[in-house]
Amino acid sequence: MRRALLLAGLSLAAGTLTAQTLAPAGVLTVGSTRVRSQSGQFSGAVVGGDGTLSFGRLELAFRYVQGKVDSVGATAASAGHDLVEGSVLLGARPLSWLTIATGPHARSYTLTSGTQRWVFWELRARASGAFIGSAARGYVELWRALSADVNVPESFDHAQGGEAGMIIRFARAPLQARVAYRMDHTVLKSALGGTRLETVDGLMVGFGLDWH
Amino acid sequence: MSRGLLVVALLQAAGFRPAAAQATSGSFAQGIRAYQNLDFGRAAATLRRDLAKLTAAGAPASERVEGLVYLGAADLFRGRRDSAVAVFKRLVQLDPRYAPDHLVFPPEVTSVFDSVRALTKTVAIVVPPDTQVAPGAGNFSALVLASSFQTVDVTLRYEDGAPFRSLYAGPIGDSLHVLWDGLDAAGQLPPVSRIVLRVASRAPTGEISTILQVPLDLRIQRPDTADWPAPLPGSALLPERAGGRSAVRALLGGIALSGAVVAIPSVVGGSGGPSGSRVAVAGTIGFAGVLGYLLHRPGRPLPANIRVNQTRREAWQQQVADVTAENVRRRAAVRLAVHAGTPSSIQPRAP
Repeated sequence: MRRALLLAGLSLAAGTLTAQTLAPAGVLTVGSTRVRSQSGQFSGAVVGGDGTLSFGRLELAFRYVQGKVDSVGATAASAGHDLVEGSVLLGARPLSWLTIATGPHARSYTLTSGTQRWVFWELRARASGAFIGSAARGYVELWRALSADVNVPESFDHAQGGEAGMIIRFARAPLQARVAYRMDHTVLKSALGGTRLETVDGLMVGFGLDWH
Repeated sequence: MSRGLLVVALLQAAGFRPAAAQATSGSFAQGIRAYQNLDFGRAAATLRRDLAKLTAAGAPASERVEGLVYLGAADLFRGRRDSAVAVFKRLVQLDPRYAPDHLVFPPEVTSVFDSVRALTKTVAIVVPPDTQVAPGAGNFSALVLASSFQTVDVTLRYEDGAPFRSLYAGPIGDSLHVLWDGLDAAGQLPPVSRIVLRVASRAPTGEISTILQVPLDLRIQRPDTADWPAPLPGSALLPERAGGRSAVRALLGGIALSGAVVAIPSVVGGSGGPSGSRVAVAGTIGFAGVLGYLLHRPGRPLPANIRVNQTRREAWQQQVADVTAENVRRRAAVRLAVHAGTPSSIQPRAP
């Protein structure tokens, strides 16, 4: 009985897979990032790209940005701090408007005290839908860290974030434009009982190819 | 004994029995045998009796002509010329093309017969029993055979005798083909199912001597026309004017999404504070929502749908045009079936 069910499931999955094709999308993004923590506030511009590779209801998403952030109010002569961030997420779409994804999300930025490296294992949920005809889709994404690896003295407590934006797809060409706002919020606990808050937010503007 | 009788006797003395070649069998065998034995009185009585039986039985003319020619010859040799002329006249009326065999009957008989035939103005009509006529194009053909040169009126008439269409009026020598295109005098299909083909023979004085007519049963065969294509249902056409739904969705979606952008800090628990980026994104999305509302405003023409509907309407109109052309073709394919009945004479005369 169990073997029969397994065979039936495999044949169903095979039928679904053969009916699907790969749908890649890639976007070049620029944006501004602001980092606020108890050690200071930094802001700057970042540039990078993100993309997705869809296959039926499965989706592989990746993102990479880098840039320099400076202390707010610093003079132009002061040297910036490097910021690098990336993620790889494997997701599935149980519903046409809902995507559930999980994967690592890493961030690194250099401060005067040294280079901080943050690695989160996240669970993300994204809801999306067209709201201006079929050309403009809006989306709202929330995530929460399942675990984290942070090279700071404080211990990790929890982290979560969100992103909301709009994607415009052009009817006559496989092109898309994107504008979004995102925010990540991390809470760390010090051994002395204190709490350290790290908030990273920013504006992202992208333009790229989309074969959906 | 007249010269004719002498010829008959000589022929029979020589053992010549040409009459047997013309016909000695059948209904008139006894009368013909009496004729050959020169017993003309008995021959005439026997032949007259047999002819009366056949006439009463409605036998066709082809079965009676043999008896009539022997009866006329017998009457002639009996010295009853008037009776012989009447018999020969009857024979000509039954079969205008009949000619007695010159090897059987002496010149006295054939010359009298020929003179009677020349004076008797009558015709025979030969028509195919069933004919398919394409009205206006194909022709119904009838062959008129004349006993002698005469003037005839060939007409089609209603059953009550009213004229339907005139086909020919004029002289006829030996035979005449008359044609009918299946239409009435007004060029229309016959409004009745039965007409008669009438041939009136005129005497040299101009009076109608005999009238022969053939009933024609008419049946108009019209092929069924094709059905019109069903009218386009409303569900087959796309809306050509935008409804208010997409406009409202754009406006509400923009507002909701802008609100989500603004609400992210409070949802994720981060330190809110003023953020130009957040306001810029929320404003951009809100502006897009308003723009979407304007672009999808209710009542706005939808060119893509209009083009699709136009294509569908043109396809439907093409179907209508095709069916119309097909029906025109089918209507032109009307046929007139003509079934000819038995010819009859209006003034039959018994011998």
